[in-house]
Amino acid sequence: MGEATSNCTQSVLEWMATEEYKEKNFARQALVVNPARTCQPFGAMLCALGIDGCLPFVHGSQGCAAYFRSCLTRHVREPVPLVSDSMTEDAAVFGGQANLIEGLKNAYATYKPAIMAIFSSCMAEVIGDDMKSFIGNARNQEAIPADFPIAFANTPSFTGSHITGFDNMLKGFLQSLADPRQGKWTNGRLYVVPGFDLYPANLREYRRLVTSMGIYMTMLPDPTEALDSPHTGEYKMYQPGTPMGELADALNASGFIFMQKYSTVGTRKFVENVQKITSEAVTMPIGIRNTDAFLMTLHEMTGKSIPAELEAERGRAVDAAIDAHQYIHGKRFAMYGDPDLLLGLVGFLLDMGGVPAHIVCSNGNEPFRKEMEALLASSPFGAHGKVYNGKDLWHLRSLLLTDPVDMLIGDSHGKQIAKDADIPMARIGYYLPDRVHLHRQPIVGYQGAINLITMIANIFIDEYDRNCPEERFEILR
Amino acid sequence: MFVTLSKLELKDNCPLEDKGAPKLCMKALPGEGAERSCAFDGARVVLMPVTDAAHLVHGPIACAGNSWDNRGAKSSGPELFRRGLTTDLVEMDIVYGGENKLTQAIIEVANKHKPKAVFVYATCVSALIGDDLEAACQKAQPHVSVPVIPVNAPGFMGDKNIGNRISGEVLFRHVIGTAEPEKTYKPAINFIGEYNIAGDLWGIQPSLDALGIHLQACISGDARFDDLRTAHRAQLNILVCSKSLTNLAKQMERKWGIPYIEGSFYGIHDTSHTLRAIARAFDDPGLMKRAEAHICEQEAKIRQIIEPYQKRLAGKRAVLFTGGVKTWSMVTTLKELGIEVLAGGTQNSTPEDFLRMKALMDPSAEIIEDTSAAGFLTLIEEKRPDLIVAGGKIKYTAHKTRTPFLDINHGRNLPYAGYQGMVTFAQAVSRTVFSPVWELMRQPFPPVGGEQA
Repeated sequence: MGEATSNCTQSVLEWMATEEYKEKNFARQALVVNPARTCQPFGAMLCALGIDGCLPFVHGSQGCAAYFRSCLTRHVREPVPLVSDSMTEDAAVFGGQANLIEGLKNAYATYKPAIMAIFSSCMAEVIGDDMKSFIGNARNQEAIPADFPIAFANTPSFTGSHITGFDNMLKGFLQSLADPRQGKWTNGRLYVVPGFDLYPANLREYRRLVTSMGIYMTMLPDPTEALDSPHTGEYKMYQPGTPMGELADALNASGFIFMQKYSTVGTRKFVENVQKITSEAVTMPIGIRNTDAFLMTLHEMTGKSIPAELEAERGRAVDAAIDAHQYIHGKRFAMYGDPDLLLGLVGFLLDMGGVPAHIVCSNGNEPFRKEMEALLASSPFGAHGKVYNGKDLWHLRSLLLTDPVDMLIGDSHGKQIAKDADIPMARIGYYLPDRVHLHRQPIVGYQGAINLITMIANIFIDEYDRNCPEERFEILR
Repeated sequence: MFVTLSKLELKDNCPLEDKGAPKLCMKALPGEGAERSCAFDGARVVLMPVTDAAHLVHGPIACAGNSWDNRGAKSSGPELFRRGLTTDLVEMDIVYGGENKLTQAIIEVANKHKPKAVFVYATCVSALIGDDLEAACQKAQPHVSVPVIPVNAPGFMGDKNIGNRISGEVLFRHVIGTAEPEKTYKPAINFIGEYNIAGDLWGIQPSLDALGIHLQACISGDARFDDLRTAHRAQLNILVCSKSLTNLAKQMERKWGIPYIEGSFYGIHDTSHTLRAIARAFDDPGLMKRAEAHICEQEAKIRQIIEPYQKRLAGKRAVLFTGGVKTWSMVTTLKELGIEVLAGGTQNSTPEDFLRMKALMDPSAEIIEDTSAAGFLTLIEEKRPDLIVAGGKIKYTAHKTRTPFLDINHGRNLPYAGYQGMVTFAQAVSRTVFSPVWELMRQPFPPVGGEQA
């Protein structure tokens, strides 16, 4: 090795920073480089972890399940229960029924769950396994008791992404385990659906905000404890989640509020159109304006008023925004993530005078593009923003190098391209294995707004301190 | 189209009857858990550390989307291997086949990312829909100037170990011996199965330099493709870490007459032992003398440095659960720090590794039979160890039981190999065992004698 190789690499890297390369890069058709999304079963697993006593069960090959577990474990630093029925070549030929039945039997006997959620990996989907009949056969063969609760969902990895999987599994829970609606009777509870959200602190924040308004609520699903359980000296495989009774009673809800739109599309249709339950979907309440809208929606849905303590909290968030506005105003941002996260973030940045430039959404669709473009058009700070659906981090890298920004916002997978572009990065979103406890700080609600302002402004200030000329280095910032 | 598994000498490795022996059978028990990864993952473990190659995953987003840049195999130069490359098969590809897309993707990768080679990995889905990986690679080959190498180890073939073996086969057939080095060295060795996790290789390199031994190729930690091609010009192979690549060592012996020895660079004893074995294998008195001098000097130096750690750690009791060479080598290494191994177990190791572990452990030490989370918890409850040494997947389960935990698999950030690695290891163990946080957790609440008492 030696000189020749390293020189060659250097020139290639320089070429990769040019407009010419960017064009070639964007013309890419068959190849995805540094993907910014993961697959359906991952989202289904998150959903399943939010039901009390539920064991997530992958119907398919075993490697996927090992990946899901290790990724989530690294993000939340918690043990994650998950089993797979380990389909191998023979299952590919003869179908996965034998694996599913044996898997149910073993998992039921070994881990004693109160309920299981079965979702498919792509292998089972390619061969066309019929999970519903397999589960029926498992009951007939007494692999599991006849009345043992099981929800299932088809979650092929070759369509959609983790947000689709979350949605499919949630709908699967309602279809498999919720009792039919009893006419006009309601149980007086508002069902709060967080969507694909790997910040347990966000879920706690939703609960705090809703209950402080005096609203009876059920969070569905509620993986808060599974993602952030207290230390008691004892390992519990199952953490408290949405109680089975409240899942069963979901269709008698007085209403549903969805905290994300794009990770709950199918469930929302089912709740609204099929079950005729009052429901609202809000923009993820990131930033002050989005939180205001969320609280107003709660007020309109329930007639409950916003208490003084939340008003005071809002006042503190506004105060924080004013105190720190100069660090964010006019700064250019590139960002990537899930559609709901991006809508919330862009709204927040626009409120702060930040300039969203490149918005890359690997799993974004046309409705998302339209909504985002409308949001950008609503503010003079949005004039430079451009939405890139279906693109990956290597596309984003070209954008960062040819049309530079001041900060990248995204998950830890973006650290390479932020380094290549020599810009600071704010870690927001899913997969943050290289920093501790970010998931333990909310990014939603007024408290979340304060956290985001603090994080982003201080990163800029740190950068300035590290790089500024000696005569500019001082205590005052 | 697939590598014939019988040729990989799986028969040599059929499971032992012993209690707690690693389950090497191809089929994991359905519903038992999700501890073990798949053949695809195993193949990537071996090949991904080839740093200047492109690693293209032919499958749906899941296989690459969940796993790119997820292993701490370090590079001293190229970063190309850390790029997540996939054909991202979607529904229409599943229906109509993804072969053409793959061919196109290979051409795109080769032209735009300038790799030294393109490794192309099959996945469950691409194999199931019948995409001919080799044909797609052959079709792309005339359009690109670097070797395009199919790696046919779809996940459903079985465990990680099978994937390891298949990738050994791939290296043997398509890479090693395909070029001649500009200069030949003697003595020159290869490492097989050293993945440079957290920079382990760089802890070993100083000893090789001191002995005047040339490292022809490290298979595959921090590897450059061109170095791998010339690996057949080494005179000795050192089988480090996972014995899943024994097939490669054996084949290199058969074809190029390169003998192999096994070795470990974890701990003082094993490092010295392996260096001696290398020197002895070359039957060169000068080399043996240099080795002895180096060993003598290093051992004295390192023992002195670790003495304070050893004094504090003596008498502590650990549970060990790992794979590969660490299965047995960590027993010795922990002993060197005065730590007693209460119980040991393995899942991904070979039966030979397992037997060596058993032989090294105190006869009273327990063999971990039930490797499920439930089994672990029972064991921890019974044994109350001061330390658990294992891989990342059970890290947080261990923490929940208030047991100090040290990650020694690929989740770690610290290199433990070689003499210097022993110092790092001693420091890491001490930091873990003596952290005041464990005490914080054991405090009763509300505090005894406090307000509410």
